[in-house]
Amino acid sequence: MTALMPPPPSSGYALVNDLREPAAVANIHRTAPDEWAREELLLAKLGARGWGRVHHFRNYYGSGWGEHAGSMLSPRALSAFFRFVDAFEFPSGVIPSVFLTDRGGIELCWEEESRKSVQVEFTRTDAEFYREATGEEGALAHGALPQLVLRLSA
Amino acid sequence: MSVNPSEDIVRAVCTDKWDGQRLSPSLFVGENTSVSRLAILPLSDHWDMFRQFVEKPPERRLELIAEINVGRLQELGRTHNPSIALTVEPKAEAWNPAHAEIPQRITRGLASRILPVLKRHHPPAHR
Repeated sequence: MTALMPPPPSSGYALVNDLREPAAVANIHRTAPDEWAREELLLAKLGARGWGRVHHFRNYYGSGWGEHAGSMLSPRALSAFFRFVDAFEFPSGVIPSVFLTDRGGIELCWEEESRKSVQVEFTRTDAEFYREATGEEGALAHGALPQLVLRLSA
Repeated sequence: MSVNPSEDIVRAVCTDKWDGQRLSPSLFVGENTSVSRLAILPLSDHWDMFRQFVEKPPERRLELIAEINVGRLQELGRTHNPSIALTVEPKAEAWNPAHAEIPQRITRGLASRILPVLKRHHPPAHR
């Protein structure tokens, strides 16, 4: 036995013209592509494990986590982290590790081709780094990330 | 009085500081690093105690317990450039009578020398 479905209703909702966004404005407001691009970036450079850990840190570690009341991941630190990961070319075949620090920073660690370690922690205010091969250790403001990229690439 | 160099100390390593491949240097970077003394509480008792107090949120799991001898830690500080005299100071807390702290500021360079020396204990099989 078959039953005929009723014909589809005419459009249930109609957006009035006053609420429609001009195409140019819509592009400014839409944040999803940026987020999508970030996910792709993490998968490409940090692999599924790194991608999953960043997701984990962003979504489960609220203020007061852990035994020492850790800070939640700083949006400024995360933004600097994404800019660095986008600009920096990690050594071929090396997948960096990503960690959450107690003060709400996000930390990257990897080894150079010489097997010497490199560490960068992105905090709310700056990027702290250490390069074992040269013994360099210091901190640079977020505005100096391009210099940090060059310095750690040399 | 500072903890004797012959003692062994441990530190809880949770999900945020261990990804299955590398340990986070921030485990030891900075001042007032929390540790726990095996002379006061045996390793076997640390598992349950740590789990109860460090697994917040529940998604944060106790993955390892890292152990180092106090004398070895001090030797790493002494031989580092610049040299630093590390001490471990008892600082019992209500949740952990074996709690102690390393008050000195540990740099990233020194932390990167401490990490490879740590003895890693994995959770007991019955977890």
